[in-house]
Amino acid sequence: MNEPILRVRDLSKTYMQGKIPVHALSDVSFDVQKGEFLSIVGPSGSGKSTFLSMIGLLDKPTSGSVFIDGVEVTKATDSEAPVIRRKKIGFVFQHFNLIPTLSALENVDIAMRFARVPKSRRRERAIDLLTQMGLRDRMNHKPSELSGGEQQRVAIARAMANNPAIILADEPTGEVDTKTRDMIVELLRGLSEKGQTILVVTHDIAVSAKTRRIITMRDGMIESDRMIS
Amino acid sequence: MFDIILKNITQRKLRTGLTIFGIALGIFAVIVMGGMSEHFNQTFDRSISLTADKIRVFPEIGFGGGDLNESKAREVKRVTGVADAYGLLQASLDPESLGFFGGDAVIGVQPEKFPSLLRDTKLTEGRFLTFGDGYRTVIGSSVAREFNLKTGDEIQIKSKSSLRTSSIAHARNFTVVGVLEYTGSFFDNSVLIPLKTAQKFYERGDTVSFILAVPDQGVDAEDLSKRIELNVEKIKTFSPEQLRKQIEQSLVVFTLITISAAVLAAIIGGLSVMNTMLMSVSERTKEFGLMKALGAETRDILFMTMGESAIMGVLGGIFGIIGGGALVYYLNDYLASRGTILFSVTPRLLVISIVFSTLLGIISGLYPAYRAAKMSPMEALRYE
Ligand SMILES: Nc1ncnc2c1ncn2[C@@H]1O[C@H](COP(=O)(O)OP(=O)(O)O)[C@@H](O)[C@H]1O
Ligand SMILES: [Mg+2]
Repeated sequence: MNEPILRVRDLSKTYMQGKIPVHALSDVSFDVQKGEFLSIVGPSGSGKSTFLSMIGLLDKPTSGSVFIDGVEVTKATDSEAPVIRRKKIGFVFQHFNLIPTLSALENVDIAMRFARVPKSRRRERAIDLLTQMGLRDRMNHKPSELSGGEQQRVAIARAMANNPAIILADEPTGEVDTKTRDMIVELLRGLSEKGQTILVVTHDIAVSAKTRRIITMRDGMIESDRMIS
Repeated sequence: MFDIILKNITQRKLRTGLTIFGIALGIFAVIVMGGMSEHFNQTFDRSISLTADKIRVFPEIGFGGGDLNESKAREVKRVTGVADAYGLLQASLDPESLGFFGGDAVIGVQPEKFPSLLRDTKLTEGRFLTFGDGYRTVIGSSVAREFNLKTGDEIQIKSKSSLRTSSIAHARNFTVVGVLEYTGSFFDNSVLIPLKTAQKFYERGDTVSFILAVPDQGVDAEDLSKRIELNVEKIKTFSPEQLRKQIEQSLVVFTLITISAAVLAAIIGGLSVMNTMLMSVSERTKEFGLMKALGAETRDILFMTMGESAIMGVLGGIFGIIGGGALVYYLNDYLASRGTILFSVTPRLLVISIVFSTLLGIISGLYPAYRAAKMSPMEALRYE
């Protein structure tokens, strides 16, 4: 087997709610291979979002480590973290995915700006990605002028912009109708078939059923981890 | 990044507009007050440079008080190192109206001393006074403009004897024989008449207000000033340096007014920028969190937020300069018709204003920007 693209070892996160410690994540370990399309399911509060935010360097774990492409990202300093975020990770959130003052095109563009991609290449790539997402005619619209499904597709395009090692999607279909949901899942699956590694957090069985591996979490631990054939 | 900054600024038009207005108001005050201060500085600078070579001799303040006989000029002239010395009689053109910032002055001077007094100042029309001229006058450019006078016209001079209890004022018309070019000094507001005529008109006998002593070539004015004081009795001298110091002291007031205006502008403008930026940063908590999740660096966010406040500062500065400049322009125009000018909007003042307003924007944006930049991406994205 190859070096896994994502390696999680004994990852724990304890939040303090006042004086009471909340063990959101307890000693989670697993590997993800390049090109895997996997879903993380589990009841609300089981630690799924916490887990994604550790991988995406949005927050620091209490203990344990995460390796992306063999690099221990949990050791990254405050100045290294932004570089890893934009080079290795593409995020898709459930809510508040887009910057409201910017058009669809600019929302994709800004991720590449942060990565210091030259302007000429940014525009080309943004148009290309939005076209792939079927948003060619909607590029200059503001988020408020786009439907929920369109907004999520813009977010996926943006997550792809810097060719990240992994796309992390936290309930990307949580707020859209079933038809849009199916479309988004198809888009993600299409990307994974081209070799993109994707982790989707969901509690929608219809979504997880389309992935090829399902990790079930409960109380901050992995309850089951199974491949779907 | 610049386009994004502009987008954000134009997003909240009213709030941004009000903030810019606040800064503009402050800069407006800086321009008006500063313009006044600059004008006085310039006038005094030019006045001093016109008279910088001469020592002023005043009567010693004492019991006899105030009277300086013309004969003292001869005594002063005898002091080694003095090339020439002559008396001047100075009075207010219209003693009844206390002049706003000095007003116009009548100066009595011996006609043959004109070249020494005025250095190389030229006439725009007419001639200088000559020996034997009686009720004739050469007027400064502002006086000419104020009363709309040309050579051949007459100007009325009033006197009010302050020495006598009977305050009979009398007036007389003087014929204008010449008009001085613009000098930017107090000569612009002067009405020059022959000393003899002045003494008669003001009933001053053969006294003068002060004596000007011209040092010989190569003689140090400061040393000479002390020497005159030692050699001639009952007088006090005022060297060019002392004069400069005294004027500088009186200019301090104007400088202080300007600085206070600037400080006030800084406080008001700065607080309003800070308030606006804090509001917009806290409204955009999620936005900054999202940007961080996308890999934005601290400096990207600092640049965006401080860029916003800097632009508000620059715009406020520009509008303040336009507003202040317009007011000063119209005031000067109006005042010019009354013989004075009160404001000079110098390039220096413009540069100071724009730099000041920009710095104001940047500095007031520092703390809000810091708040935006230190936002944890997790916290920012967490709650709805
Ligand atoms: N910042 C936080 N402070 C305190 N407790 C938190 C914080 N974030 C998450 N938690 C708690 O950690 C647990 C896991 O939360 P989360 O990862 O959001 O679960 P999920 O995404 O699976 O619903 C929950 O009990 C939640 O209340
Ligand atoms: Mg969650």
